[in-house]
Amino acid sequence: MTMDRTRLIFFVIIGVALLVVVCGLAISLLPRITGSLGPAPTPTPNPAEETLEVRVVCALPVEPWITEAARQFNAEGHTLEGHPIHVEIIPMDGLAAMGRYEREEFGTEENPYPTAWIPDNRYLVELVNATYKDLRGRDVFLTDGEYRARPIAVSLFAWGIYASREEVLREKYGEIDWHAIHDAATAKGGWPELGGDPSWGYFKLVVPNPRKNVGGLAAMVAAAGEYHDKNVIGVEDVTDPAFQEWLGELMGAVTDFSSLGAYSVENLALFGYSMGDGGQLLESDLLVNMQGIQTRWADPLVIVYPKYVTWFDFPFTVWMGPETTAQEKNAALEFEKYLLSTEVQQQAVKRGLRPANPNVPLDGPDSLFVKWQSQGAMVIVPRATAMRSPDRDVLLALLRWFDLNVAQR
Amino acid sequence: MKRRRTSGTISVLAGLLGLLAAVFIGCCSCWGVFDKLVPSSKGTPTPARSQATLRLAYSPEKEPLINELVTGFNALGLTTPDGQPMTVETVQLEPDVMIQGALAGDFQAMTPDSSIWLDQLDRAWQEQTGSESPLVGQTERYAISPIVIAMWADVAQSMGYPAQPVGWLDILARAQSDPNFGWSHPSTTTASGLLATLAEFYAGAGKTRGLTEEDVQRQATLDYVAAIEKTVRHYGEGEWALVQRLLSGGRGDLDAFICQEQLVIYYNQQAGASGGPTLVAVYPKEGSLWEDHPLALLETPDLTANQRLVFGRFVEYLQSPETQKRVLTHGYRPTDLSIPLSGPDSPFSSAYGVDPTQPQTALQVPGPAVVQVVQDVWWYTKRHTNVYLVVDTSGSMEGEKLESAQEALRIFVEQIKGDLERVGLIEFASEVYDVVEMDELGKNREALMEGIDGLWAGGDTALLDGVQVAYDRLQKRGDTERINAIVVMTDGLENNSSIDLYDLIAEIEEKNAQGVPVVVFCIAYGDDADMDTLRAIAEASGGDVRRGDPETIRQLYKILSTYF
Repeated sequence: MTMDRTRLIFFVIIGVALLVVVCGLAISLLPRITGSLGPAPTPTPNPAEETLEVRVVCALPVEPWITEAARQFNAEGHTLEGHPIHVEIIPMDGLAAMGRYEREEFGTEENPYPTAWIPDNRYLVELVNATYKDLRGRDVFLTDGEYRARPIAVSLFAWGIYASREEVLREKYGEIDWHAIHDAATAKGGWPELGGDPSWGYFKLVVPNPRKNVGGLAAMVAAAGEYHDKNVIGVEDVTDPAFQEWLGELMGAVTDFSSLGAYSVENLALFGYSMGDGGQLLESDLLVNMQGIQTRWADPLVIVYPKYVTWFDFPFTVWMGPETTAQEKNAALEFEKYLLSTEVQQQAVKRGLRPANPNVPLDGPDSLFVKWQSQGAMVIVPRATAMRSPDRDVLLALLRWFDLNVAQR
Repeated sequence: MKRRRTSGTISVLAGLLGLLAAVFIGCCSCWGVFDKLVPSSKGTPTPARSQATLRLAYSPEKEPLINELVTGFNALGLTTPDGQPMTVETVQLEPDVMIQGALAGDFQAMTPDSSIWLDQLDRAWQEQTGSESPLVGQTERYAISPIVIAMWADVAQSMGYPAQPVGWLDILARAQSDPNFGWSHPSTTTASGLLATLAEFYAGAGKTRGLTEEDVQRQATLDYVAAIEKTVRHYGEGEWALVQRLLSGGRGDLDAFICQEQLVIYYNQQAGASGGPTLVAVYPKEGSLWEDHPLALLETPDLTANQRLVFGRFVEYLQSPETQKRVLTHGYRPTDLSIPLSGPDSPFSSAYGVDPTQPQTALQVPGPAVVQVVQDVWWYTKRHTNVYLVVDTSGSMEGEKLESAQEALRIFVEQIKGDLERVGLIEFASEVYDVVEMDELGKNREALMEGIDGLWAGGDTALLDGVQVAYDRLQKRGDTERINAIVVMTDGLENNSSIDLYDLIAEIEEKNAQGVPVVVFCIAYGDDADMDTLRAIAEASGGDVRRGDPETIRQLYKILSTYF
């Protein structure tokens, strides 16, 4: 009996000791497992179950306009089949976005596939489609039908040059084109040799870094067009050694490829004529920055339209892959319709973009095209020969040449 | 029976205690194993996923601006959607140290003086990780300022400015022809120092653009740059510290130095009220560069969604019209182009020594590979140094004081990267002792470290004798090609020298004028140091006195190392 009692006490103590240790262990571990020291989470309704999320990757030149439109769209409470639609804008240069699609970097928890993409130019869509045809055996962006890529605004590349410098160039060359700019860029004596002020130093060209801004690639394609005097450029044109030497001399006049290369016109405005006398840049960017340049610098900017015109058409492109639902795709179309509405298109004109909606005039009351007519802005572009979109091999050849000959200089 | 029963109970209790001990030890072991396997949020640098404090590194010249802006942002009391307070914490770092900190993941955002460093950071990141994705993420600007040659108004006038444009070559020519002309630029670890060096290399290569690695390494270019660098009075820890020194210590021995335009405005704003000399920003005619103060988010693996949100809101705050107006009043050019530089509250006027229509032109920024070569080569072309470290090892230095000083001396030697710089070590207590002969660091770096380790405290304070021995050695060497300097540190009062202060000062003044100019930098270590004596020595030699204590002595020696 004594032995039994002792044994009982023994097992009770052991049991209590084990219980204390196990409880202590459990209490210590609980926060690590739940990830917080706070009270247990209470179930809350998940708005994503009800709201249709539309994520739009958007090219940088139209991003301020699209972001503002999205804010307005969200505030107006648009719905689809009873579901509220919420639009999120993700600013990204067209080339950077193309790279992410091609490397299949979308589709993670952090970066799900965007519902729609607004690149700078339709040819970027075609390039991604070509990649996915190999990967999935079909187009991921459509070229016809309800979900086809539709331009939401357009803009073109024009020369933006500080007025004092433009006057000197016009005096010397008569017409401003890539040949004149090349001649100015290679003038060993700099501006004094061209008839300009010695304090201006050498001629400084602004070209966006093509690795950071698709506008840089557009500028190189346009230069190739004028060099060969044609609007369709092939690989043989851009790999022509004589052209590459000529292009290298041209790029030698670019002051800085290193800093924040995606914002060339902003750089032209911020740093003024000290960093760039001018360059072939997107018309909408030039128009938006005209006022700022006049406020900051004594010398205004002048816009000159080139012989061969490169257009950016900013197509609204719905992702057709299975990663987004049919409702999300349709919600994206709702936002596209909103962007094409008269009111929103008028906002585009105020930001220097040419509207895709033909009912919206370019010469309305707040039009930047009218405001800056004195500085060369034109509602109707004269003698325009459009540069045809280059194919993938041309772009790759140009980028490779840039990497080897300019980026490493 | 009782004895047996007692014995049995004791056995059971002993067994019980043994078992409990075994259970306890077992649990502890399990715990130890578990603790290693399960990641914990305590005591590791991994931030909680909800972390909403953004740590921001900034370069020193922006101290007043960043302090004001960050304080303003934190005062907004913003919160994240999950209720965390949005805050920005700051850490001040030189750009080169900032790059190392970014690579180590010490902060989530940075705002150095120039975008040049972002390119270098991404190059280093790709080399370190092999990753194709850059470390530098979203990058925005909120303030810019061109790099200028800051000159005293009378010096600028004597060079014909502003009627006559002045350039890099004019400064260099003046420095070569006039031995009394003092100029300096920071080392290439700051944008302004890098620009000054780039301008020299451009001039040496006979170019204004298209500088290549071959140009930089050509012997004729190196000879040219070395000849120019010989005219530099001394280097320094950076433009911000230099301006602070001018404000507190007066004009000093410099006629011109390189800094960003904003610091010319800042100096004139601060010094203007006293009616003292004013600075003028000279925009070099060959071209300038810009400090564009980028604010970059670092895409580190630990970056939380909340920190990304804080970054976005901080950018919005910096670019808001109200903040941009504050940026203007600090003497920076705001990135909001709707704010005119010529407005009523703007400091951009000739009254503050600046011209908002300048600069007219800029030098071409070479690619990161060329910039790296320029930085590397500069160590060989810069004006070299003969420097004596003179250290107090009297009895009062015993303990923590000496230990901290030894660590600071080691940092000083480590910081001077160039193997061609000559450094020697002298200690003084009751007498003066030669610890390590002066020689090129390539030959005696190890001996110096051992000498520093072997220092011990005891005896009196023969401060003046210590300075005199070092001074005489430098005079005997007669090396006018190099910067000659003494860095002397003491924690007490002079009490055992054979020379008196007046004789020492007379000797310094006489020989500095006729022989080899030797600059003496003095460190008053602790509250008991003889400031009057140190100040007199420093002033006689054109040097400077700094206060230090065991907490700050390391940083102080690190700063002084940038002078050489």
